[in-house]
Amino acid sequence: MSHQHRHNQPSLLETKDLSKRNLQSWLLSAPSLIWLTAFFSIPYLIILIYSLLTPDIYEVKFLFSLNAYRDIFSGLYFKPFYLSMRLAMITTMLCLLLGYPVAYLIARSSEKWKNILLILIIIPFWTNFIIRIFSWRIFLSTHGVMNEVLMALNLISSPIEIIRTDLAVIIVMVYVYLPYMILPLYSVIEKLDFTLLDAATDLGASNRQAFFKVTLPLSREGIFAGSILVFIPALGAYLIPQLVGNQNALYIGQIITYRIKNIPRNWPVASALSLVMLIIIAMILLTGYYIYQKRRIRKLHENR
Amino acid sequence: MEDIRIENISKSFDGFLAVNEVTLSIQQGELFSFLGPSGCGKTTLLRMIAGFETPLTGRILLGNQDITQLPPYKRQVNTIFQNYSLFPHMTVYENVAFALRIKKLPSSEIDSRVREMLQLVKMEDQAAKYPNTISGGQKQRVAIARALINKPKVLLLDEPLAALDLKLRQHMLIELMNIHDAVGITFIYVTHDQSEAMSISDRIAVMNHGNIIQSGPPDDIYERPASIFSAYFIGETNLIPAEVTAIEDDYVDLKCFAGADESFEIDSTFHFRPEVGQKLTVSLRPEKIAISRTKPRILDDINFVRGVIEDILYLGTHTQYIVKVGNLKFRVFSQHKRVYFDDKALDWEEPVWLFWHDSDTWLIDEVTPAGLDVGEVNVFERPIQMSRGIKRIIRSE
Repeated sequence: MSHQHRHNQPSLLETKDLSKRNLQSWLLSAPSLIWLTAFFSIPYLIILIYSLLTPDIYEVKFLFSLNAYRDIFSGLYFKPFYLSMRLAMITTMLCLLLGYPVAYLIARSSEKWKNILLILIIIPFWTNFIIRIFSWRIFLSTHGVMNEVLMALNLISSPIEIIRTDLAVIIVMVYVYLPYMILPLYSVIEKLDFTLLDAATDLGASNRQAFFKVTLPLSREGIFAGSILVFIPALGAYLIPQLVGNQNALYIGQIITYRIKNIPRNWPVASALSLVMLIIIAMILLTGYYIYQKRRIRKLHENR
Repeated sequence: MEDIRIENISKSFDGFLAVNEVTLSIQQGELFSFLGPSGCGKTTLLRMIAGFETPLTGRILLGNQDITQLPPYKRQVNTIFQNYSLFPHMTVYENVAFALRIKKLPSSEIDSRVREMLQLVKMEDQAAKYPNTISGGQKQRVAIARALINKPKVLLLDEPLAALDLKLRQHMLIELMNIHDAVGITFIYVTHDQSEAMSISDRIAVMNHGNIIQSGPPDDIYERPASIFSAYFIGETNLIPAEVTAIEDDYVDLKCFAGADESFEIDSTFHFRPEVGQKLTVSLRPEKIAISRTKPRILDDINFVRGVIEDILYLGTHTQYIVKVGNLKFRVFSQHKRVYFDDKALDWEEPVWLFWHDSDTWLIDEVTPAGLDVGEVNVFERPIQMSRGIKRIIRSE
């Protein structure tokens, strides 16, 4: 509002102020702008160009072609897209279901315990990502720790085949991405005014009703942030399915890698798939943002 | 009719006794206050009535029903919280409707009852707003409407005005009294502000260290404090260490101590029969003392003592004089009426006479704690006297 006002009737002083402030903000954001241009915009431009070229055995022919997109939209890659989407959704849901109680518990702990528990959540990050996945591979494998222990305890008679299944992928995905869900949830729940729960039960709500009517709606922003932080990397998952997953049903991240790695190579299809992924993620984010903004505007409007 | 009965209620937190075997009855329709300094156990007591805390000992009766073990959502008691605790994600309307939505009433009934409640608190035109866009006073009104919509038998108010500024507080206090008259249910009010409690309550319970020190109507507590703490905490008073020297039919002679070897004699009516030689404390309210540079002519039933003005505090409606008598510091309130003794204003360092009617001295059957006469408040911070039973229960916890 005040911004518009300024544009309509800029006084000399204000204009000068404004341009000075503009210059300042440009200067301040220059490093990140340069960074993003060099390592995000330009690479994606290259990918866009590659997606519109003709494949060759090793490289590309500089001939315009829409074949890559034709392949994608003809449904050739529907299954990996579907698998990736399903994996990302299941991972996000499980992280939310497992992470919420943990975040809640930490947020309601005493100050001393809060720090200890938060450090425990963060500690796995100190170990290399690939080493952690390999550990899981050893742990879950047919003659791995898990099966040996279960058999020694006579809980099972023959090893459970988990390794190289979708279940293994989900287990490891949830393990890896859980902290990304817990931390934003924690930061929102921690700020929650718990006397609101007293108020809810005072007004007749059972503990369960109080949770669903007060706690959960008020932790919406944490759920949203955590879900995005888990969903987006989960959608492009490559390493985890590659190391512990079923090699007969490939996820989109693996497909993209194979199109570049395996000969004959297909750079245009790999590039087009990457772009489609980017667009899907951008659309999900924008939809979320739009819903959020609409709520905000509606709230403001109602308050007039 | 008795509405709430608290029997032998105690509560401890980590071995610290917050409420110490309190027994109390509150009548139907009464506006009852718990008054005391922070940490005296008043909020804990309120939270036990609401059901947020479980008592260590004793029971709470609502009407004839024992509600000690009932969860908050099953009690016909609602609370107004210190910071209102309005749900920030709901409109004013939805906040007020909350209790009825939980009950799953038809929306037409909800609507008419919400409108009725909002009208009671004069918030009809703010129904669509969110709590963070309305003022403190308005939040207070919404909290009242939200708590009353479920037609509770008792409304609990936990320092409801603490977050408001003075003018608004005075205004809301009158509103609360009007609402109390309109709905006719029992209000239990917790506050540390004695003027708030005095002006609003039918009865007050003065609390300290988990005990009820005294309970009764405001004027009773003010005029007839049962202990040094009540006298000290409610209003302002002069507490003078004294010894009984003689007992007559309707008054006693007292020797008041004003330092190591300084003393003065006064007379006092009495409400309990002390013994000669007994040490006790005299409470003398500052507004009951007259101050003059000339000695009063009427001497019957009047006590007088000579002192020197040490400080003068001009307070608009009245002036407070600090008058030194030996090592005692008398506080004296004098209203600005220039029709009485001295028309020339009193000045610093001026010798003056203090005098008061002997029925305005109030005897308290307690020895004056050392340091109180020079304004040390921490004399009240002595440990709680626990009964053997409570000690055992706390130990075994």
